[in-house]
Amino acid sequence: MTAMLTQPVPATPAARPLRRTLARALLSDWFVLWLTLAYFLILLPVLPTLGTPANLANLLSNAWPLLVVALGQTFVMTIGGIDLSQGAVIGLTSTLGAALIATAGPPEVLSKAPIWGLLIFEDGGVLAGQLWLGLLAMLLAGALVGLVNGTLVAWLDMPAFMVTLVSLITVGAFAIWLTQSENIRNLPDSYVALGKGEIVSVYIGPKEEPQIPRRQVHELVTYAALVAVTLAVALHLLLERTAFGRQVLAVGANRRAAEIAGVPVRRIIVLVFVLSSLCATVGAVLYSARLEAGRPTLGEGTFLLDVIGATVIGGTSLFGGKGKVLWTVFGVLFFVLLSNSLNLMNLSTFHIDMVKGGVILAAALLDVARTRLLRGMA
Amino acid sequence: MTALLRFEGLGKDWFGVPAVRDLSLDIPEGRVLGLIGENGAGKSTLMNMIGGITAPTHGRMLWRGQPYAPASAADARAAGIAFIHQELNLFTNLTVAENLFIDGFPRRPGLLRPFIDRRAMRDRAAEVLARLALDLPPERTLDSLSPGERQLVEIARALHHDAALIIFDEPTTSLTPRETDRLFQAIEGLRAAGKTVIYISHILADVQRLSDGIAVLRDGRLVGEGPVADFDIPRMIRTMIGRDLAAVYPSRTAPPRGRPVLEVQGLSAPGVIEDVSLTVREGEILGLFGLMGSGRSELARILMGLDPAMRGDARLLGHPLRGGPRDRIRQGLAFVTENRREEGLMMDASIRDNLTLPAIERLRGPLGLDADRIADTAQALRETVRLKAQDLARQPVRSLSGGNQQKVVIGKWLPTEPRLFILDEPTRGVDVGARSEIYGLMDRLAAEGAGLLVISSELDELMGLCDRISVMSRGEVVATFDRARFDERRIIASAFRQAEGDAA
Amino acid sequence: MTSTQGALDVATRMGAVLMLVAIVLVFGVLTPGFLAPDSLANTVKQSSFIGIAAVGMVFVLLTAGIDLSVGSVMFLGSLVAGLVMRDAGAGVGLALLACLATGAILGAINAVLIVGLRVIPFIVTLSTLFLYRGFGTWLTESRQLDFPDEVRSFGLASVGGIPVPILIFAAVALLAHVILRHTAFGRHVYAFGNDPLAAAKAGLPVRRIQATVYVVSGTLAALAGFVLISQIGRLDAGFGEGREFDVIAAAVLGGASLFGGIGGAGSAVLGALTIQAVKAGLVFSGVNLYLQPLLQGAVILLAVFLDGLREARLRSLRRRVIRPRTA
Repeated sequence: MTAMLTQPVPATPAARPLRRTLARALLSDWFVLWLTLAYFLILLPVLPTLGTPANLANLLSNAWPLLVVALGQTFVMTIGGIDLSQGAVIGLTSTLGAALIATAGPPEVLSKAPIWGLLIFEDGGVLAGQLWLGLLAMLLAGALVGLVNGTLVAWLDMPAFMVTLVSLITVGAFAIWLTQSENIRNLPDSYVALGKGEIVSVYIGPKEEPQIPRRQVHELVTYAALVAVTLAVALHLLLERTAFGRQVLAVGANRRAAEIAGVPVRRIIVLVFVLSSLCATVGAVLYSARLEAGRPTLGEGTFLLDVIGATVIGGTSLFGGKGKVLWTVFGVLFFVLLSNSLNLMNLSTFHIDMVKGGVILAAALLDVARTRLLRGMA
Repeated sequence: MTALLRFEGLGKDWFGVPAVRDLSLDIPEGRVLGLIGENGAGKSTLMNMIGGITAPTHGRMLWRGQPYAPASAADARAAGIAFIHQELNLFTNLTVAENLFIDGFPRRPGLLRPFIDRRAMRDRAAEVLARLALDLPPERTLDSLSPGERQLVEIARALHHDAALIIFDEPTTSLTPRETDRLFQAIEGLRAAGKTVIYISHILADVQRLSDGIAVLRDGRLVGEGPVADFDIPRMIRTMIGRDLAAVYPSRTAPPRGRPVLEVQGLSAPGVIEDVSLTVREGEILGLFGLMGSGRSELARILMGLDPAMRGDARLLGHPLRGGPRDRIRQGLAFVTENRREEGLMMDASIRDNLTLPAIERLRGPLGLDADRIADTAQALRETVRLKAQDLARQPVRSLSGGNQQKVVIGKWLPTEPRLFILDEPTRGVDVGARSEIYGLMDRLAAEGAGLLVISSELDELMGLCDRISVMSRGEVVATFDRARFDERRIIASAFRQAEGDAA
Repeated sequence: MTSTQGALDVATRMGAVLMLVAIVLVFGVLTPGFLAPDSLANTVKQSSFIGIAAVGMVFVLLTAGIDLSVGSVMFLGSLVAGLVMRDAGAGVGLALLACLATGAILGAINAVLIVGLRVIPFIVTLSTLFLYRGFGTWLTESRQLDFPDEVRSFGLASVGGIPVPILIFAAVALLAHVILRHTAFGRHVYAFGNDPLAAAKAGLPVRRIQATVYVVSGTLAALAGFVLISQIGRLDAGFGEGREFDVIAAAVLGGASLFGGIGGAGSAVLGALTIQAVKAGLVFSGVNLYLQPLLQGAVILLAVFLDGLREARLRSLRRRVIRPRTA
């Protein structure tokens, strides 16, 4: 009797093997990676450029900053929330950081900006050239936004999507106001190197003989890669190997049970939103360094779609309680490959946005299906 | 006299365990039947079968002489059966009249047919309310009404639906004496209007006052039935309990030692509990008995720091209890909640994650969590609580039986080394085999020096397990009994005391 | 009831009106031009566009849902109207009809995904926000679409001195008010938002109720788009972009709750007027263009905050009482 109750209730015999196989595939940690590889291999014959070293290097360079931002989103979704304000944080911190460390300020561009004469002057920002102080200031600004988001969600029980929607608008507007919608250039080389610098490159192909001996250069290990991989490993350890990480999962799985079990639920929520903003800030460094400018509109529009899409397709549940860094790594790979392939097919950005919207929807459906499968098996 | 509703050999098994067995009874039209029995006697299952929530596994029901097998709540409603629960199915943002007519608004005539005829609705609502002698304005929104008034609106809704049989399930738990009086007048009115009523309550004096006939359930069987004149309150209680204490309880292995673990002095929270004082000693199991809604679970929540207290003092080993659950767990409290699913477990998470959650911060190694210690802890807990599970790391708690789920809920507290366990209905939904294991576990916890505060609606469970039993009623501790003086009738009588006093 | 609770009750119930009055007064004092009859009339006229869509949003919010796709529906609905006129030579009436039908279909797609497949409204409408816009941009190939003059003469006309947009807004709000207050469907929407489980138990057609509100929201968003396009006469790729925020903000500012069951057509009217008054006031008082969204965001945050407080209080009222205070 007891033994029977502890066993999964068997489904009808005919449906069982198929359902099992399907369930195992869907619930596997590696599902999205297989999906990505399958997609790549299917497209390769049709779209040979997809596999060229140049394209693969490009693909990876797009993946790193997105991964950094999506890692933060993974934590927020794991507690059952959502952070729509990450893009705005990127706009704000990239602008702020650039203004602080720029080595020159062109008055014809910036003299109307409120920060002119306050943070940035003709001969540069107040921290001109001081990379580390600038980064610290950016992280502080990012953390502040996350702190406000988290506090409103945790202590006033406001819905996360509404709070972060409001901060998406206000923080974004604030960033634009800071420079009156101008970009800030003249970034120090040390900063730009974070986005562009290569550490290890791969040289492929024959020497091109004609005039100057030269080989094609493909960046493999960049600072961006280093930052993203380090952060992913660190956050993986944080989620899987620390009490904090276990408590994050507990808050998402059952907030009331977590509170009764002594989990500091509100503190966890606040910290997760701070973490999300900090990840967005690191993303801002990588994006703006690659762009060689601080841009208040950097994370606007469909960027949000990429972050949410990559996280959800990876397998992190919108309902909370389920999230893994590895899933998000695969989700980001899938999403970047998807955008990249659509670009190579010469589709317009609007088509690409449409496909991304569809993918998010599909991912959400997958999430519903996974949840039902799990329940059905129990 | 014809029977409105007749049960013929009705029975219901849950996984082979009978909840209701071989029940045959006629419910005559135009009468009030009082249905009594202890918690778990089968009243809810019987009501669920009448209401179309669950189907009987044996026997059948006849409604006005015709076979009656409702497949849904809608079928029962369509037949003319209405339920009034303590939890109301009303819409607080709508008016009284709208709540009455929500599934069939009166319409305007002719071309204006799409529109609600508000005047007709108001008039007809006033009419229905007048039948209950209710002076509620039909246009008031529900959120401005008291709980008692809302209950009366629910009755009005049943009346408006022309229900022939109205079933009241513990309707007075959140009513003031005055509201209770109005409810009783309304029920008298129903009887006068020829309606049939089944009245279920733990407040026996109310049952006696209202009913024409009494039916008593025990262990799923009908053990007594007859006109109310044959049942005085002592006989009701006798009929309800009369059974042997099963041999599932441990013989207490160690007598309680001296030092008090928990001391509560004059604890009060307005509207919830009033002037509660009690003491639990090391190695002692104190039972807290009371009817549903007597404030037992609320007291537990206050002790755990989940709800605030206004006055009074609670100490653990001499130190005042302060802060939220997190602080109180550190001080040595553990809380097994009454709802496993909502407040006890992360259903889709693994057994191991559930078992190690409260003590997770103690399982750190030099580099983050120590995976070996976590696995060892979970493994040790599995043995301590005798958990029947295959794979602690992968199996979700959802896949366990109720008894094993409950072992997880209790076991997860052990690594925090609590000095006082609060266990709220620790054996609810747990089969007999697992029950005795859980009792044994509780006995061992006490033997190791912890204090246990056990809340239960099942008196024989408390009598089998506890060193002392305190009885709560309407938010107060009204009596405390030592093990030597346990007397089922006196304990039940004191749980009913306040209610009887009100009715007198 | 303590006085702070009483004050909170008044604040949440009357909050929308108080806020509108305060905003009008503040801007009236700061900038004399703001209260001139012409500019006031203009504010009302401009609020009609957001207001019409906000009426639809109120239906959705009443069920505790959300519709983020309204901005894209505005775009796609107007686009279909424009294409029908340009390529099929349809008149204004037919174009309007095509626009409304498009909105209804797009709303129905949302409804199927939400009610049929049980994906949460927020994610569904976030996805369709991009799907619908992408589809529309594909249709236009990112080019502008100019509308014939008859459309503008419709949009800029007035009847009895009252501009057509205001008339349409008033008609929509009135109709919505009648439906929400005086039809069974309307009351069912409120019941569903208050307690979906109890609504199902009472035998209400809960799936149909939930689906219908998204169709209403889609239809009204399309109508709002048409009203705006008939004033400006030209559709570009960014038309309606980001408007979902204004629309949700208007509904919540007017007193509709994100948690469902509270609000009405009046909320949309009040909220749209408030949003537009803030926008106009900021323009009149010469506040930096880039700073304006920041201030609007602050106003909305306040509204969401009040909504949260109200919900917390309602929840505490629902808690069980053991010892009722004897009367």
